[in-house]
Amino acid sequence: MTPSPRMASWLQVAPMALILFCLVLVPLALIITVSFMDYGFAEVIPELLWENYLDIFTSSLTLQLYAQTFKFVAIVWAVTFLLGFTIAYYLVFHVRSGAARAICFAACAIPFWTSGPIRMVSWVPLLGREGLVNKALLGMGLIAEPLSWLLYSEFSVVIVYINVLTLAMLGPIANSMSKIDHSLIHAARDQGATEWQIIRLVIFPLIKPGIAIGSIFIITAVMGDSFIVKQMSGGQINTAVGAITTELNAFQYPPAAAKSVVMLVIVIALVASILRLVDIRKELAK
Amino acid sequence: MKHDNKVETETLSTLAQTGSVTRKPSDIELVALTKRYGPAVAVDDISLRIPENSYCCLLGPSGCGKTTTLRMIAGHEAITEGDILIRDRNVTNAPALKRGTSMMFQSYALFPHLNALDNVAFSLKLQGIDKTERHAQAMKYLELVQMEGLAERLPGQLSGGQQQRVALARSLITRPKVLLLDEPLSALDPFLRVIMRSELKRIQTELGITFVHVTHSQEEALALSDVMVVMNGGKIMQAGSARDVFEKPANAFVARFIGGHNVIRFGGRDVAVRADKCRIAHGSDGRHLIAEVKGVEYQGPVVRINLQAGDSQPLAVVLPDSVYFATPLSIGDKVTVSWSPEDEWALAG
Amino acid sequence: MRDTGQRRPRSFYFLLALFVVYMAFLYGPMLCVFILSFQGPTGGMSFPMVGVSLHWFEVLFGGAGGQGVGDMHNSFVRSMRMAAIVAALTMMIAVSAGMAYRRKFPGSDFVFYASIASIVMPGIFVGFGIALAFNLLGLEVQWFSSGIGAQLTWSLPFGLLIMFIILGRFNPSYEEAATDLGATSWQRFREVILPIILPGVIGIFMAGFTSSYEESARTSLNVGTGNTMPMEITGLLTSATSPVLFAVGTVTTLFSFALVIATLLITIGIAKRRQMRLSAH
Repeated sequence: MTPSPRMASWLQVAPMALILFCLVLVPLALIITVSFMDYGFAEVIPELLWENYLDIFTSSLTLQLYAQTFKFVAIVWAVTFLLGFTIAYYLVFHVRSGAARAICFAACAIPFWTSGPIRMVSWVPLLGREGLVNKALLGMGLIAEPLSWLLYSEFSVVIVYINVLTLAMLGPIANSMSKIDHSLIHAARDQGATEWQIIRLVIFPLIKPGIAIGSIFIITAVMGDSFIVKQMSGGQINTAVGAITTELNAFQYPPAAAKSVVMLVIVIALVASILRLVDIRKELAK
Repeated sequence: MKHDNKVETETLSTLAQTGSVTRKPSDIELVALTKRYGPAVAVDDISLRIPENSYCCLLGPSGCGKTTTLRMIAGHEAITEGDILIRDRNVTNAPALKRGTSMMFQSYALFPHLNALDNVAFSLKLQGIDKTERHAQAMKYLELVQMEGLAERLPGQLSGGQQQRVALARSLITRPKVLLLDEPLSALDPFLRVIMRSELKRIQTELGITFVHVTHSQEEALALSDVMVVMNGGKIMQAGSARDVFEKPANAFVARFIGGHNVIRFGGRDVAVRADKCRIAHGSDGRHLIAEVKGVEYQGPVVRINLQAGDSQPLAVVLPDSVYFATPLSIGDKVTVSWSPEDEWALAG
Repeated sequence: MRDTGQRRPRSFYFLLALFVVYMAFLYGPMLCVFILSFQGPTGGMSFPMVGVSLHWFEVLFGGAGGQGVGDMHNSFVRSMRMAAIVAALTMMIAVSAGMAYRRKFPGSDFVFYASIASIVMPGIFVGFGIALAFNLLGLEVQWFSSGIGAQLTWSLPFGLLIMFIILGRFNPSYEEAATDLGATSWQRFREVILPIILPGVIGIFMAGFTSSYEESARTSLNVGTGNTMPMEITGLLTSATSPVLFAVGTVTTLFSFALVIATLLITIGIAKRRQMRLSAH
């Protein structure tokens, strides 16, 4: 008995489809439902109302949380894009030997094999009041007192984001760059283009899919993160996801669900608009 | 055991009179075969009979449908309309493995994780034949293609020509009735191509099966074919023996594609005259044109002269080198090109 | 590729400098952790080093009369167990799903976008959803069911994407040749496709393993009693502010390195045995 090709595909994809359905879509539906419910102290009252959403949009405190999240997303995206693009450009177009390039890429990826929480704590000796950076600055006479804003601040949060996420932008961009036919670059140079012109007019337009994929990684990682923000700001900075976590821990499910849904809608809207600009499956299939 | 290869073939005109011609046994028969991809027609209602034990070439430019036709015979491409018969058995709906065909791919598709011997023995392994037995059989086929010394090598360690021989052995071990070859010589350099060409012919003759060989090289097709099928735009332009096609092209397309012909608009109709049958001299019965020399190409034993008559009639004359160098020409010379009426062949449509 | 032998343009030096700075940025913290894990017994969380010792490693492993820090051993075992199961499941399910995508089938877009959605949705969101679902169904949240399930929502989409990349480069002629020679679809898979994509499949296993090992957002709400390693370490961050954390860091990093190197060696071993050129034609 040989199943038809379509049947065969269905059978093959069934386990994954089932898992995604049960563990992603059903919970999603649940969360959406719960977000419309009333709640008391540590209990959920199954009455449907809009209050949870209204609370979000009318509370300036809550809106500020979202604003804080967006601020982080914007800054991190900008910096990781510039850094990722430049490093990727260097690695793909300036490093000559294939072996050297492979080693450099590995070097960029290796730090990921340290565990997440450890990477948080590793910044203390560098950015703390008695950390190396402050000591160096004091020693060079550039400051009179240790800088307190290096650690447990917005700055440290952004620094850690960049440290952790640049690779997520660098990788896809480098992948797109490596697919550019080198005769295009040679032809442009023959026509007299300067390096910057080549970057602007030849390379940049051709790597848009890579930028899109990288951006999706960055946006989803920053928007969905509660851990890095909490650790690196010492609990002082709160974002939307932070508020969600707090409410979850207090068993206040409906408002947490509402905030989650709003967050999700924003993330999906951003991702969908990016995906509109690039066909991922084509990018992967080359 | 050698077969007499002077097989009689049928041209398009006799195909139209099915039943009134003695039906020789055929290995492959295509009946009103069509392939559509949505609105685009890749193969358009073609019919063809390929006699048994013959070397058949499908010749045509890119996109003419020859590879699609081959893949339909193999069973790797679904048929939109029509039927395919192999040894009088309708295989239109049969899966590839049950057709008695075997295919040799343009990229050879040797399994990279198996050495040459295991590649050839692969089909036997699928049938459950034990290792010693299948290795012995595989060795025999490697000997047939003269690759027995490299049996242990992996495809990555073989040259293009060597990979092709192994691929050939692998296809033949299944004892197919028909071997289908998809541009087998295209990836080889010209010198190797000529050598492999005669290898293929030798093996086909020795084994006594039908080969269907897709190519875009008319030289290859002329050298190999018992049956030559010229295709264009999804249709068969002409099918016949190599000599028939070359000496009596059915239409202007075939005349131009097969090379070595001039297609001349003369006396109100299109005629084909072989370039080597043209002369630079006055004709005796009005079959001549005044033309300007546009280029002269030395080709070793012959010299090819490219000319243009009038506004838009290109002409080519091929002369033996001694004849040319007796009276060489320069670009811009105005000369008379002539030919004999018996060398003129009227073209249809 | 590059014109060799030409003098480097000025931009090269600028970019090289930037790269070096980036490397320092990436590795600086790691190096600090590594060095400071050998901090002397009286030293603190910052430089300078007050002596060099293995003291903090001893504290970590519970030597010198102490009891170790936290519940490291158990949480490590738990993490390993989960990671192994998640990796094996991810490998089988993702490979199967990836094979399905070689044809067009109704619902292919749906599963693809559901996978993307699963990655895109913030971790705690998914974790929350699963925990909620289990709660409402009256089921207990356990590492074996909801914990592994939650981690699969993260690892499976990546596995699928890796399969897309692998199969995208897979020459379809291999399969046609196999069919031509008489292979059934199962034989095609076992004898031709699987051996050729094996390095990629191992990659999926390792990706599943490491992602499970590191994951905390989706897992934390769903693992039931008993912490995984990341959860344990997170707990330590607040409770134990001493260089023992650095010792933990060094040990876990070395462990991760060992895993990755093992994978590389296996993959290189396979490729060498076949001596396949990396760009198959």
